[in-house]
Amino acid sequence: MSLPPDLIGELETQVGPEHVIVEPEQLRVYDCDGLTGWRATPSAVVLPASTGEVQGVLRACSRASVPWVARGAGTGLSGGALPVAEGIVIALTRMDAILEVDLGSQRVVVQPGVTNLDVTRAVEADGFFYAPDPSSQQVCTIGGNVAENSGGAHCLKNGFTVNHVTGLTLVLPDGEAVELGGRSLDADGPDLLGVVVGSEGTLGIVTEITLRVLRTPEAVTTMLAAFHSLDAAGSACSRVISSGITPAAIEMMDRLTIEAAEQAFRPGYPEGAGSVLLVELDGVTAQVEHDARAVEALCRELGAFDVRVAQDAEERRLLWLGRKGAFPAMGRISPDYYVQDGVVPRTRLPEVLRRIEELSAERGLRVGNVFHAGDGNLHPLVLYDAAAGETERAKDLADAILEACLDAGGSLTGEHGIGVDKVCAMPGMFSERDLEVFTRLRAVFDPAGLANPGKVLPTPRLCGEVPGPFRLHPLERMGVAERF
Amino acid sequence: MLRPASLQEASDALAAASTSGRTLRIGETLLTDRLNRVLQHEAGDLTCTVEAGIRLSELRAVLAPHGQRLSLDPPGDPTVGACLAASLSGPLRHRFGGPRDLVLGVTLVLGDGTVANAGGTVVKNVAGYDLGKLVCGSRGTLALIARVSLRLHPVQSAAATLVVETGDAAGVAHALLRSQLQPSALDVLHPGRVLVLFEGVEPAVDAQLAAARALVGGAAGDEDAWAESRERQGAALGRLRFAPRDLRNTLSTLREAIVRPAVGVAYVPNRVGGVPPAGVRRLERGLKAAFDPAGALA
Repeated sequence: MSLPPDLIGELETQVGPEHVIVEPEQLRVYDCDGLTGWRATPSAVVLPASTGEVQGVLRACSRASVPWVARGAGTGLSGGALPVAEGIVIALTRMDAILEVDLGSQRVVVQPGVTNLDVTRAVEADGFFYAPDPSSQQVCTIGGNVAENSGGAHCLKNGFTVNHVTGLTLVLPDGEAVELGGRSLDADGPDLLGVVVGSEGTLGIVTEITLRVLRTPEAVTTMLAAFHSLDAAGSACSRVISSGITPAAIEMMDRLTIEAAEQAFRPGYPEGAGSVLLVELDGVTAQVEHDARAVEALCRELGAFDVRVAQDAEERRLLWLGRKGAFPAMGRISPDYYVQDGVVPRTRLPEVLRRIEELSAERGLRVGNVFHAGDGNLHPLVLYDAAAGETERAKDLADAILEACLDAGGSLTGEHGIGVDKVCAMPGMFSERDLEVFTRLRAVFDPAGLANPGKVLPTPRLCGEVPGPFRLHPLERMGVAERF
Repeated sequence: MLRPASLQEASDALAAASTSGRTLRIGETLLTDRLNRVLQHEAGDLTCTVEAGIRLSELRAVLAPHGQRLSLDPPGDPTVGACLAASLSGPLRHRFGGPRDLVLGVTLVLGDGTVANAGGTVVKNVAGYDLGKLVCGSRGTLALIARVSLRLHPVQSAAATLVVETGDAAGVAHALLRSQLQPSALDVLHPGRVLVLFEGVEPAVDAQLAAARALVGGAAGDEDAWAESRERQGAALGRLRFAPRDLRNTLSTLREAIVRPAVGVAYVPNRVGGVPPAGVRRLERGLKAAFDPAGALA
């Protein structure tokens, strides 16, 4: 609560007094995002309604040297929207207009507070959809999706947010608005748009976003294959991909998450399954029919004891029910859980899953695995009981799982972002020099360091002076490239 | 002329140029032809990592026996690094994206000699800033692109081309884009022709070709049509952008062009001027100063 005295007044002038929150009880609504273990109460929250108002707010913050954190729906899972106590939160929820539907260009122009699903709703009657589908898509906002480069189950075939954003209005931390891209692709010059998407709110605030929408596919087939072991399902997933088929989605669940989902939602998955693989194929009918036969044959060859194919939309909904409800279902079998987001090369899935099993047994905590198998993006759920003092042990186990992902040549995060959650793990994936270059890039956009400070890049204050255990670049581990 | 054969040599060359105030131009006074190895190809993961001086034809020869390809088909036979630096693509841009959509990670040598990695070798990854995308279109002004990890695609078992001779290319293109067909490529060879490529298993390719003919007419064509498209694109001096809905108007102002309707790009014979907006120029200047403070890269 140490804002310069004139700032509140200036913010009120910019956005109207009713859109500046300073009451402590109301501020607490904003004290965390989906990563609830981290909390900080901001000094104020402002809710601008236009690009001009965002510019005014950022100019005021810039003059007063007050840090800020932009926020959408607050569903992020890495603490990317965690406030800074000595700064303000800029909530973009009032900027929720769909500005233009341009089906002739297959583009939709939106403000950042529009929810992900509302983009599809705006075009589905005309036979189009917006492809990235994070599981929070009913509530999460496009602004947040842009900040995190959000993925989702169906990104395997169609790509991530960055592949679907063609234009942005970006307000820089000094208040200047910059237009990047447009309705056509391949703008001249360095791909600034490509680096802003996924920058976790550290380079500015996007206030207008042009999105690509796709034509709804002619055919969709969803199938569920049940295996006795996680290993077999992992191998089947690898084989499907390497056989040249690109499904719209391949999701995997292990025994623990299947059991939790059955208790919570009764999706009726095959009894005795040690794991299930959920495969969705879409595209032109003849291709989908061919691929569906091939996937089923591959799954059976690799040990699937039951393969079910959804015959209609209702059956498809049931097959997805267990997967989509897997996180909340975990709440029924464990008081607390911690979600990781590590990525491994697809061919390394079986061995990394075995390693997670070993780690879970060693540390005496259960781990549920439900994840985007097709692109190797794990979501291990570490189950623990904070009241029983298991929090530290859970965090240690989660860190060990991330190390296993990096050891396999993977990444710290596939779609949740670094945020504050994994910031101290960054030196495990990037060298000091890599991080220094990231810092240079950040300073080009935000020389004063006011945009979402403390996120993405480790600082001595957050992580201590001693850098984390640096791992070799995947290529160096393979011995094909020299340390440099 | 400098021809580094390792990251170390590339870094030394740029560090020395920065110190001595010399300016190097990638492709002219700083060549990447000795940085041309395939460092890794994990067929099961559909990814590979290469040194950026490798030519597309060399990479194609490595991938083809595994039934895989890099879905980039620009005119000529540029290096992977050039594809990124100049944001080069060909007809497959329609379905598979440009270099920025296919790059998973990079190792860069900045103008001051600093070697930096960004991204990774896995297909999904949001850790750190995506410098691999940033250098796409940077024309070698920020850094030497030394290594690139790439997403690959399986080569499909069948392919067919539809050639539509038409006085209304915009109408044909829009009808195809509005349909549920999923072509791999869709080019307008303006004036007068639309090319469509379908790939997949044979029955699906046949079905798509038949459905497309029922929709817009035309006759089966072959690889020669695409070779012509690439050749004309290669001879074009300018790249013009337009909102895809303005295709008809755009075509009406052009005498000849190779046009990718869904991308909103037309390759035209004459140079196209245009200065980026002031804010973009400011950011580009800032990046130049941060990555190449001594101006070692032209």
